[in-house]
Amino acid sequence: MRRYRTYIGILLLVLAAASCKSEKRLSYYNDLYREQPATIYIAPLADMSMRRVVRTTEDSLFNQSLNTAAQQLYLTAADPLVYRGYYVPGPLASAQIAATEHRSGKQLRNEDISDYHSLLGIDAVLFITLKEWRQTANSWSVEVEYALRSTETGHEMLHVDAHATKTLPFDFKASPLPLPEDRAFSDRYGCDLETAQRCRLVEILNRYVLKDLPSGRRARATATEQYEPAHPEYFTLKINADGTVQISKTDQ
Amino acid sequence: MGNNGKRTRSGLPAGLCVAAAFLVVAACSGRYAGMPRAELLAYQTQHTYGSLHTLAAELSRSIQSAVKADTLHPGMYADYGVALALMGQKEAACRMLNAEVAAFPESRAMVQRIKQRLMPDLLGDTLRPSNPKADLDRVETLAYDSLTALRPLPYVAPVIDSTDTLWLQMQTPVDSVQLPIRLTATQKRELLEQAQAQEAQRKQAVQDSIAAAKRAKVKAREQAKSDRAKAKKEQEKARKAAKKEKEKQRKQDKKR
Repeated sequence: MRRYRTYIGILLLVLAAASCKSEKRLSYYNDLYREQPATIYIAPLADMSMRRVVRTTEDSLFNQSLNTAAQQLYLTAADPLVYRGYYVPGPLASAQIAATEHRSGKQLRNEDISDYHSLLGIDAVLFITLKEWRQTANSWSVEVEYALRSTETGHEMLHVDAHATKTLPFDFKASPLPLPEDRAFSDRYGCDLETAQRCRLVEILNRYVLKDLPSGRRARATATEQYEPAHPEYFTLKINADGTVQISKTDQ
Repeated sequence: MGNNGKRTRSGLPAGLCVAAAFLVVAACSGRYAGMPRAELLAYQTQHTYGSLHTLAAELSRSIQSAVKADTLHPGMYADYGVALALMGQKEAACRMLNAEVAAFPESRAMVQRIKQRLMPDLLGDTLRPSNPKADLDRVETLAYDSLTALRPLPYVAPVIDSTDTLWLQMQTPVDSVQLPIRLTATQKRELLEQAQAQEAQRKQAVQDSIAAAKRAKVKAREQAKSDRAKAKKEQEKARKAAKKEKEKQRKQDKKR
């Protein structure tokens, strides 16, 4: 009799442990696992950051730097998703799809987008909103919102608000000392170092937010199911002077 | 089994296990050849024909290397197809879009929409490329072919900068643009001579037109002068006739 009780106890413990595991999965990536999107279209970037009124050449260069960084944020969002096994149309094809759209970004975000599923075969739309840029003498910050909406049900399958900051040390002339990667980026893309800082910051942020999503159809056969969230819903990402990334804020 | 092939507990040789583990890791990492980021960024920020052309050439190279390494990035064929269509190479663009559907069937509806927008006349052409390898051999030249399809503007003003790059004004299907073309020394000399000859011709034409205008002005002035003299003469004649008539009238009055 005692042995039976032990067996029943062990069985209950196992069941409790199993249910905890599936609960975690259900609460974080339930929609993604249920809908299993194969194709993700990245909607045109909603750039809400302020630009300067152009009075001098410096203002013009500043605005140009923000425009380049915004484009980099849009362009580098596809790579982590592709690596996770989703089909993501390229930027030129996406521009052609966006050109046929008559709704504004806000309408697209809030209204019914089931025609994307029925007419274009797109399972989910990723909306990226660049909210704000901030800058001090040696640091650059950006606030970005990511939202992945299902085209079939209209549910938000993922929502992340991220605040990323990059801080550099000062050199002996009291100007920020760029990392070797920043210099390489600047040489490769033919842009100034300040633009390189912004571009690298948004690239790292994109990679961090999107790289650990549950696997898409192409990678699902080899992927393990994800029970823990890749990152909190609200977080601050800090890139230190030595190039290491630090997450300093947890869920709100 | 080789002499050094130590068996594991399950009976498999250790080497085979390592190879299998490597294959699993490789499959999980999902390697893809990257898109040409720098060229994409340049096109997205500038939106010029020159940057589109550079992007298309770079995409063609990326596709070639990706096909060889079997690491094709989803959307690469479609992007190259769109770039070719924007440059006016619609048939080649259609082939690339068809290749995208063949490689990634989930893109079928999207590709149809893009075709509908960019090449409605080729909407029905959904055949797979008959020989993808042969097509890819042509891919490299397609972007450059599009240059020859362009028409130079009636008056070409070559501007050669310090890096021996010629900025040529060309007429695209949409508008006129300046394209950078790297020159050899001979080409540079020929172009400069041609430009000098054109400039001399243009100056001569301007001088001729100035001289013709001057001649016309002189002629007009002379004509006006002769007209004025003629008018004066007639006026004088009329005055004399009036005077004569008046004199005649006075004489008749006296006789009375």
